Amino acid sequence: MKKLPAFLILFLILFVSSVFIINKKELVSKSEKRTLATWPEFSINDYTSGLYFSNISLYINDHFPLRSNMVDIAQKIRYHLGFHLDKEERIVVITTPKKEKNLKANLDTVNRKFDDDLKAAYSGSMLIINGRVYPQYAGSPAMGKPFAEMLNEYATKLSGVCNVYSCVAPLSSAFIPMEKYKKYNSGAQNTLNAIRSSLKAPAKFCDVFSALDKHFGELMYFGTDHHWNGKGAYYAYTSFCESAGIQPIPIESMKYERRRPFLGSLYDLTIDPEVAQHPDTLELFIPRVETKAVRYNATSLSYSAPTKVFGGSNNYIAFMSGDAPLIKITTNVKNGRRAAVVKNSMGNAFSVYLISHYEEIWVVDFRYSGHNLMDIILERGINDLIFSVGVYAAMSHGTINMMRNLAKPHAPALSGISVRKTTADTTNNKSISGRDSSLIKKTFTDSTNNK
Amino acid sequence: MVFSSLIFLYFFLPITLILYFVSPGMKLKNFILLLFSLIFYAWGEPIWIILLLFTSILDFGIGLLIDKYRGRKVSKWFLAASVIVNLSLLMTFKYADFFTSNFNFILGTSFPLPGITLPIGISFYTFQTLSYSIDIYRNQFPVQKSFLNYMVYVSMFPQLVAGPIVRYSEVIGDIDYRTTDWSMIVSGVNRFCLGLFKKVFIANIASILVEKYLDLQFSNLSSAEAWFGITMFSIQIYFDFSGYSDMAIGLGRIFGFRFLENFRHPYAAQSIADFYKRWHMSLGRFFRDYVYIPLGGNRKYQYRNIMVVWLLTGFWHGASWNFVLWGAFFGVFMILEKILEKPLGYTPRIFKHTYTMALIIFSRAIFYFVDFDKLKIMIGNLFNSANSISDGFVSDLTGYSYFFILVVLFCIPWDEIFSPTNKLRLKWEYIYKISAPIINILLIILCTVLLADDTYNPFIYFRF
Repeated sequence: MKKLPAFLILFLILFVSSVFIINKKELVSKSEKRTLATWPEFSINDYTSGLYFSNISLYINDHFPLRSNMVDIAQKIRYHLGFHLDKEERIVVITTPKKEKNLKANLDTVNRKFDDDLKAAYSGSMLIINGRVYPQYAGSPAMGKPFAEMLNEYATKLSGVCNVYSCVAPLSSAFIPMEKYKKYNSGAQNTLNAIRSSLKAPAKFCDVFSALDKHFGELMYFGTDHHWNGKGAYYAYTSFCESAGIQPIPIESMKYERRRPFLGSLYDLTIDPEVAQHPDTLELFIPRVETKAVRYNATSLSYSAPTKVFGGSNNYIAFMSGDAPLIKITTNVKNGRRAAVVKNSMGNAFSVYLISHYEEIWVVDFRYSGHNLMDIILERGINDLIFSVGVYAAMSHGTINMMRNLAKPHAPALSGISVRKTTADTTNNKSISGRDSSLIKKTFTDSTNNK
Repeated sequence: MVFSSLIFLYFFLPITLILYFVSPGMKLKNFILLLFSLIFYAWGEPIWIILLLFTSILDFGIGLLIDKYRGRKVSKWFLAASVIVNLSLLMTFKYADFFTSNFNFILGTSFPLPGITLPIGISFYTFQTLSYSIDIYRNQFPVQKSFLNYMVYVSMFPQLVAGPIVRYSEVIGDIDYRTTDWSMIVSGVNRFCLGLFKKVFIANIASILVEKYLDLQFSNLSSAEAWFGITMFSIQIYFDFSGYSDMAIGLGRIFGFRFLENFRHPYAAQSIADFYKRWHMSLGRFFRDYVYIPLGGNRKYQYRNIMVVWLLTGFWHGASWNFVLWGAFFGVFMILEKILEKPLGYTPRIFKHTYTMALIIFSRAIFYFVDFDKLKIMIGNLFNSANSISDGFVSDLTGYSYFFILVVLFCIPWDEIFSPTNKLRLKWEYIYKISAPIINILLIILCTVLLADDTYNPFIYFRF
């Protein structure tokens, strides 16, 4: 009898261990939509660094019996530690992404890292209301100024060459579709207004906030992902049209598509059971324009791969088929106008609407691109340069410097353009197109746009 | 490897226990314990196991030499060699960057920082091997002649990486011979489950609030939130470390070792001196026996001795000036308490407790912020913040209300309030005894569920 308590626990533990050993090991977690850890291969390097053993620990965690149920229960236990004043809302704090390793595995294959800014900016307080996650905004108006100064530098340098637009997207928490949460508007709005007041002519400001605010109450952003949906990005596009003095294409005239539901990045950060019950649906509004698109690697124009303006994914990756260092879109809009978009992932959904107004669009992801933006602008005869980024990217000195560095003559690696400069000065403007003409042979028409 | 992980609970521990208990004879049992202790250590630090072995072999050999040449002058030299080598290893592997950067700062040089990563547990096992050599020199017990048994003492996995700092004299009887005592095993299991709960449930949940208030919202804290944040850190560090110690003591009992206690309700302390006797007691005992008393203890230069001990205690915690400041802070208050001993004796207990807790909680800010600029801002926030309370603060206070009640219940020194013969206490103890198996199973299930969702939860004291 004395031994029984100790044996009971040992039996419990051994029972669970045996179930683990016998259990068939799944490769993918259906509920979490990610690949599960596999038994690590032994290598001396991994052994000495401790990685081998930590990977074994991960393997055991990932394949532990009833793991996904336990994760759900753990969330509920943590939630029920006290009295909750308001049943419909709660705040969760995300310190580090809980499934960082898995987020990486979730991403599409071509050169796409999990947004650096996501970890930095969205690791914080999240308001969860009725299963939708709203990252709380923690910026101040003063934080908008450096971004505006960077834009002013571009606008001054490019005066007479092209127009420079600021098109900064607020967070979804600015538009929680309930009147009582309108207080969250002011933070983002104040930062965007600070950008507006610090911008000097000829730089132009797109009033994205007001354009979206006119549609307050509509679902413009995702609830489980930190991006905007097709509709939010469309309203931002109308604000750009207003600044640029062009007529926006009516949303009704576009082709409408809905894709099957998905759980996005904010679910991955929170792994909240309530959020899991409220998946998002991607809405696409596709301009009726023919496009061809190619993506380049970070440093060179000598290799390209075909891509699509509207990809086949069911989540945000559908816009521009995800992030790439540099994407070139050519359209059948033969108006001689060309645009360049400097963006992070928020700019992907915005850029797709520009195909109605330009015959050529260069989409530069400032986080990954080593191409010289000034060369592209000057040599391709860009008419409009648009900075389409999320508000957190416009507040960080690190990301602002990355955008600034795109204009530096000695940007990290410019093999495509700089080689041409030294060897074929006389070809000047045609050099890129000459190079491209051979590359474009590999591309194909974006079929989703033609239908 | 950490105790609070699924791999430890469901694989490492049962395999070790089964092999240990089916092994006949003390020698084989000790061998199994040593083998699994080395695997336990190698799980996180495969390379630094060399350092652990080097220190162990050195002090084992020195112990034999001191014993052989006992009474002769040369034995003193062997002891000196042990002290110098052990402290040099600690200085090199723990403090090299600290000394280099301070050297560069003072002399304006620019020597590159060595960048050595801290071998886990070095502060603990170095002190254990050092105490062994000193105690052998002091002839406090017979030298250990079996290297296997000596290695079991140094590397026993329950206490290897984060203490308690076990002295050889505490386990001398158990190392060479111990019996399987089922009542001790059962009390060990109870203790282990309690420690696991303290770490996985209380400390890990407190850590969520610590990160929220002391990291994420650090620059916008109101005074109330700042105090709340460091109070949460006080809770986290206590339950994290005492939870680890409970697990270590419990595992020790399962294997037949009786480790001394490391905590005794520190947050019930009535003075800083009282706190010192209740918090991380094994470290306090180490400094008392090897620094404070040799310096003169209470007999001469007491204030100096207190200050030296506290500065060293602070510095032991980490290679950073904030830990030294933390030690100095306690040293100063210990001395002030000595000076004001009489008036303090007349003050009501509630006042003494409040004053002690306020100082302890404040000292956690010094402990938490390695960066002095941040510490300065934090002190500003604590006493004079211009920020207003954020929306989330009230919801945190209410949203974690059951949790706070539980924490308070765990901090109250029930065994000091109720004497061992108190009827109510006896009744409770009886109820606990008969329901312990069910409670333990529930605690293990609860902790497993929480661990499934929280795979990374190292102990705070691993970095010391």
